[in-house]
Amino acid sequence: MGLKASRPGLAGHGDPAAAALPARAAAGDQGAWDEIVERYAPMVWSICTRFPLSDRDLEDVAQNVWLQLVEQLGKPPEPAALVGWLAAATRRECRRVVTAARGPEPPGTQPDAVPVDAVPVDAVPVDAVPVDAVPVDAVPVDAGPVDAGPVADDAVLGEEIIMAERHAALRAALAELPAPCQPLIGMLVSDPPHSDAAISTALGIPAESIGPRLARCLEWMRESSALLGLAEAGANRPGGDPGA
Amino acid sequence: MRNDWDDEQLLAELREAMRARRAVPSWFVGTGKSAYAWHNIDAELAQLTYDSQTDADRVAVVRSENASIRALTFTSAHLSIELEVAGDSLLGQVIPLQAGTLEARTKAAVTTSPVDEAGFFALEPIPASPFQLRFRATDGAYVMTGWITL
Repeated sequence: MGLKASRPGLAGHGDPAAAALPARAAAGDQGAWDEIVERYAPMVWSICTRFPLSDRDLEDVAQNVWLQLVEQLGKPPEPAALVGWLAAATRRECRRVVTAARGPEPPGTQPDAVPVDAVPVDAVPVDAVPVDAVPVDAVPVDAGPVDAGPVADDAVLGEEIIMAERHAALRAALAELPAPCQPLIGMLVSDPPHSDAAISTALGIPAESIGPRLARCLEWMRESSALLGLAEAGANRPGGDPGA
Repeated sequence: MRNDWDDEQLLAELREAMRARRAVPSWFVGTGKSAYAWHNIDAELAQLTYDSQTDADRVAVVRSENASIRALTFTSAHLSIELEVAGDSLLGQVIPLQAGTLEARTKAAVTTSPVDEAGFFALEPIPASPFQLRFRATDGAYVMTGWITL
């Protein structure tokens, strides 16, 4: 599939609505801030689950991470770098809380030897996260906790970032769909999925029309600005469209 | 490229995206949304720059002298707040030395303590974790720490 635009390999999204969120939040729009949180809380959560944290620790991490992001609003990093910044800040806060909970230890015995302060808040270059080095197709959809090695090395963080952008774009694309599509797709992707018979009853449409309607909805979805933006943002990555 | 996902792949990706969203507790999202209350507050954020419990350079010294003393330093662009746990109190000093007011905020309550001319203050009892400190100097400077868990 041909691609017209070539953008620099940004970590971020090509969806203009999403890219505008940080500026809107900086200008005082609480709704835009809430959308940022809705988009990326799943990534913050997912990174946190790689660390042994209690609910109170999790709340501590969430408070500090989002508070720091509020502080950053209206300053660099660029909107496209926000997600990378957020991932690095989350990992740093998780490490801090885990280290504090572990208590004093002789130096050199910590398995995760990266100092807590090694990633300064203001200086997390997005390039430090090797987003572009991870082929999109190689990202495991169900990346569970890492058992061996560092709990969240840069490669893991890169995967989290790519997955977060993909998931956020998919959820945004679903929200953009015309009204009749949303309950249909919602029922199909629920856990567990509903049967055609149940969908037919709930939505009042003939079972045999579900397939054609779904195909139409998914076609619309592919044309949504959220998914087109995602495709554009990912175009220059290895694993992206080789024909681009 | 994502636009060459076929219908089944697109549905599978959607299912995964919705599952990831459902996995997040609502309180976790709520914590993030509430952080916006701090937007544009005229306070500088003081970062944790030293913690006796995690600073590897000092751990050996602390352990050999008195393992129970916990000391923390928060630093903003203009001042530092040093904290030390002493029994049931949290003692602290603002550097450079200056007077003002210190607020200790927990999720449930806010308590205010004076800071004397030598920058000293004492919080008793120690606020329930997590808590946050906000210092307002008599000259108007305003600094807050992140959430602190002791």
